Amino acid sequence: MSVKLEPIVGRYTSFEIQSKQCRVYFEEAGSGIPLVCLHTAGADNRQYRHMMNDAEITSRYRVIAFDMPWHGKSYPPEGWQDTEYKLSTALYVETVMAFCAALELERPVVIGCSIGGRIVLQLAHLHSDKFRALIGVEAADHQQPWYDTSWLHRGDVHGGEVCAALVSGLVAPQSPAIHRHETLWQYMQGGPGIFKGDLYFYRVDSDLRGKLTGIRTDLCPLFLLTGEYDFSCTPEDTLRTAESIPGSTVTVMREVGHFPMSENPAQFRQYLLPVLNQIHSS
Amino acid sequence: MAGSTPATGAQLFKRFAQAAATFSKPRAVRADMLLQFDELAVLVRIREGRVSEILERGVALQSWDFAVKGTAEAWSKFWLATPPAGWHDLLALNKRQAFVIEGNLHPLMAHLQFIKDLLASPREVIA
Repeated sequence: MSVKLEPIVGRYTSFEIQSKQCRVYFEEAGSGIPLVCLHTAGADNRQYRHMMNDAEITSRYRVIAFDMPWHGKSYPPEGWQDTEYKLSTALYVETVMAFCAALELERPVVIGCSIGGRIVLQLAHLHSDKFRALIGVEAADHQQPWYDTSWLHRGDVHGGEVCAALVSGLVAPQSPAIHRHETLWQYMQGGPGIFKGDLYFYRVDSDLRGKLTGIRTDLCPLFLLTGEYDFSCTPEDTLRTAESIPGSTVTVMREVGHFPMSENPAQFRQYLLPVLNQIHSS
Repeated sequence: MAGSTPATGAQLFKRFAQAAATFSKPRAVRADMLLQFDELAVLVRIREGRVSEILERGVALQSWDFAVKGTAEAWSKFWLATPPAGWHDLLALNKRQAFVIEGNLHPLMAHLQFIKDLLASPREVIA
């Protein structure tokens, strides 16, 4: 009998974030330079399964993707039932730093998409000495809101369905159907109000325009990759952001949208591998 | 987009009506949607996951739940086999102001993917 197992292993760890104990689920594969992966708003670490199954990456990188508290298989912290989930810039930074500390990761690379891309910019601003390199996917210092987020959490509209339907247009038309619908399924499975709570960070608490001074890309290279079909974080948003960060590099990716690693992994790796090669050889 | 002459509202509507005739999903959708193809407005009645009726010429005081109004250029690009970026989705078109969405949006948002798929149903198929 031959059992075909993927190389991905899932584990739980517990640590404090803003004085609250959190039990956090993460998956990992590979060995080498730690590569911490941040999922998009309202989703979970399954978005990185293709990278964790890519031997060209895992032969050189320890790829680690965690579910933020309230997402995926990470529960909310105790007492959540009496609170409204709202992600803030401070909470997000502390979450990433606490996870890296809990796993005793030494100068990891961080890759983040969408809200993960936004927080990568703040990590570059605050903590560039703590990271070997940073990769912002669909990252910008700000972007124009394009819908009313109150639709995301109300009694008379199915939250999972409307979250998925809203973001479905952010998947490029060229993306394979299987990956498109897996990506949307992640949104259908989010907890009530969690996508909306993540977007509090994105829409309200993290306008970084004019606040990204002093980023040392000579110490910690910053790579920005944005899909041409992303009309939420547009290529123009990323290009504008990069203009304010000397030394950052921008690539506009063809035929992908807002979820490159999840919606079209084959297309994304064409853009990601050169970045990972450069980081590995430096 | 066949040829270089822009499609008229009537041509766009005909294309939509043909595709909508066979569009069906197992979903309890009930909504009255005003669609505007350039200058031509039609009322689309949706019942039990399919288009049950399209009224080309409305009568006075006819009500509808929500409207989607688009330019000829917007509908034509939206229905290309591979639409260009920014012209590929209902909300992308709304963001770039090539589509206007108005009215009572609850039926639209409660069945958003259904409506998106219905409106995209005339899209060309890659040969």
